[in-house]
Amino acid sequence: MGRSLEDLAIFVGKRLLQLLPVLFGVIVLAFLITHVAAIDPCPRWYPKAGHATIMHCEAQFSRPVPVQFYDYFTQLLSGNWGTSQSGDPVLPHILAGVPATLELVLASLFLMIVIGIPLGVLGAAYAGRWADHLVRIFYLSGWATPTFVGAILVVYYLAPTLGLPTSGVYSAAPPFPERTHMSVVDALLAGNLPYTVDALKHLVLPAAVLAFINMGIATRMTRASMLEVLPLDFVRAARMKGLSNFVVLYKHALRNALITTTTVLGVTAGGLLAGTVVIEEIFQWPGIGAYAYVSLGATGVPNFDGAIAVVVVFALGVVLANLVADILYGILDPRVEWR
Amino acid sequence: MTDPVLSVERLSVDYRSGTERVHAVTDVSFTIPPGRVVGIVGETGCGKSTLAQAIPRLLPEPPAEIVSGHIVFRGTDLVAVPRRRLPLVRGTGIGMIFQEPLNSLNPALRVYDQVAEAVQIRHWRDIGLLPTFRGGSKPFDYSRRPLPETSAVLSRPITPGGAVAEKAQRRLTDRLDAREEVLRYLRLVRIQDPETVLDRYPHELSGGMRQRIMIAMALSERPSLLIADEPTSALDVTIQAQVLTLMKELIDEVQASILFISHDFGVIAEIADDLGVMYAGRLVEFGPVADVFRTPRHPYTRGLLRAVPERYKSDGPLEVIPGSVPHLARLPAGCSYHPRCPLAQDLCRVDPPPALRTVKGSAERAPHQSACHFAEEVGTTP
Ligand SMILES: Nc1ncnc2c1ncn2[C@@H]1O[C@H](COP(=O)(O)OP(=O)(O)O)[C@@H](O)[C@H]1O
Ligand code: SF4
Ligand SMILES: [Mg+2]
Repeated sequence: MGRSLEDLAIFVGKRLLQLLPVLFGVIVLAFLITHVAAIDPCPRWYPKAGHATIMHCEAQFSRPVPVQFYDYFTQLLSGNWGTSQSGDPVLPHILAGVPATLELVLASLFLMIVIGIPLGVLGAAYAGRWADHLVRIFYLSGWATPTFVGAILVVYYLAPTLGLPTSGVYSAAPPFPERTHMSVVDALLAGNLPYTVDALKHLVLPAAVLAFINMGIATRMTRASMLEVLPLDFVRAARMKGLSNFVVLYKHALRNALITTTTVLGVTAGGLLAGTVVIEEIFQWPGIGAYAYVSLGATGVPNFDGAIAVVVVFALGVVLANLVADILYGILDPRVEWR
Repeated sequence: MTDPVLSVERLSVDYRSGTERVHAVTDVSFTIPPGRVVGIVGETGCGKSTLAQAIPRLLPEPPAEIVSGHIVFRGTDLVAVPRRRLPLVRGTGIGMIFQEPLNSLNPALRVYDQVAEAVQIRHWRDIGLLPTFRGGSKPFDYSRRPLPETSAVLSRPITPGGAVAEKAQRRLTDRLDAREEVLRYLRLVRIQDPETVLDRYPHELSGGMRQRIMIAMALSERPSLLIADEPTSALDVTIQAQVLTLMKELIDEVQASILFISHDFGVIAEIADDLGVMYAGRLVEFGPVADVFRTPRHPYTRGLLRAVPERYKSDGPLEVIPGSVPHLARLPAGCSYHPRCPLAQDLCRVDPPPALRTVKGSAERAPHQSACHFAEEVGTTP
């Protein structure tokens, strides 16, 4: 036990191992919901297919559930994640979509941190005064905005005013290979500055909407933990050194308040990922959220192979985000010992 | 006579909570001449910390509110200083040591970073990189005094003195060797093995150690006035004695002007030159320590002294003052002490005694003051 890098590695390793049963549980659950709870699934899965396909499908479904699951699970492990509506395999969609979504989520997390956290500090520093009320109005309005309303308002009103694009990742097909499927990163790797700027322009609005809607948690947590920290003696001691208010707030108080906020930011991963479903669809972002939107049948026929895959990936995302939050927590708080 | 470093004039501080007003400090006046240690005693809850934190305007306003009075520090009334300029007064002007060493160091920063910050502020203000507080009176000489490195008690003097010392001093002014400077102050507070302590986080250190670091931090800015708010109360008895001894030695060494707050007469007796006694937010007695101990001029002080064990009194059984401290939001009419006072007369129940007045017959140069109608009788009546 301790705080060396070795301890950290053991900690991360253990947490990753603990992750496996969680993922397995998620897969079982998603499988049961799609394969067992669904009533008369075959005609729904294959509405336009011929009689032979339906018969084959129903034969599959009449087998015992554990057998079906074993079958499904071994296929999953061997890399066959099923087929999409279009008939092509699911896995490539996932592999291309995850980085794109990651880019979007990281960008909005960035905005949440650089805007949401200082707003929380402001709210705490002026608790009960008009600045605090303005901050609260701001984050509550974000919180109260349904994702699709926020996205549509931005697309129709804000985007034209700012002259920002609202669809896709680039204005034109890029002349370089999309190796990572993260638009900004790909453009940077290709050393293509105009495309980098273009990619950033495409990124900013969806990321901003996603951030605006989820920001409330960051702001509120920061404000609350700042209010807990500010009356403590060490903050007064820092003031008594003659430090400016800014240094006291951001170096001494926030440093400690962040310990709580980080944990909560890990939890927002779920909210951010959920938000991508609608936002990616509206902004035509080629990520896993848009793929989830289609797979869940929002545009017509649902596709359960795709749906399970999306659920598993989202679950993985949430769990990993919490792991990252726990690591950050330990780094910020020197009293934590890796176990 | 030299100007006082601090003169508190008729200061009143309230806390507002809901509709209630807690009169935590009421009509308090006293002065601290340069190089003198003023002690304040009083029971828990009588407003000592409020007074201590009101002086550098550290209280959160609201809920606290300076209702009236002046806090004249080096010729400038701090009550009138705008909030954003207050940091200039703190650190190099007024330093503070807090009651809870366990909570007064930042748990997320290493000892070095915290002490270095203080050292850095002092340095930057010295060389004009940061703005400095300029009081109405010229900067108090303490800040111009030689650094404590010349002290004989330092285990390892850094410069041998003379020309070399002068050169070292000049180098220090140009470019600060923060690490050396931090180490110097850790040694000053007698921390063994300061190099390893530098890299520690507060939670890895004992309470006594942390309080030494707090003291080092405050001293490293060489403040004109040091406020110590019960610096030893939260420590256990042996550590308390050690830290107290340390503070006594340091006070002699740095000759700072100090406001030393305690609820323990014994501690004050060892450290202070002047002693003020607080009761229910008021300063009820003030005077040279020896005078107050020998002939208390307020029934409350006398009661307290009788409640102090053996060492500080001649004979008789241990007494406890009957009754309890009034709630500061609902003070009794007249003298706040009258429900408990053995000398109370009808007058006391209706007519509040004046804030401190000089007792008849006390020395003019070191007046002994009391806030009792019958101050002159206190010494003689049993
Ligand atoms: N933030 C606050 N709000 C309201 N009342 C307070 C606050 N802080 C202290 N008080 C009250 O002020 C009085 C004086 O407190 P304090 O100055 O801490 O006393 P001491 O340091 O002598 O123990 C106490 O009665 C306490 O209850
Ligand atoms: S004024 Fe009266 S009640 Fe108050 S301390 Fe003096 S004698 Fe006691
Ligand atoms: Mg106190």
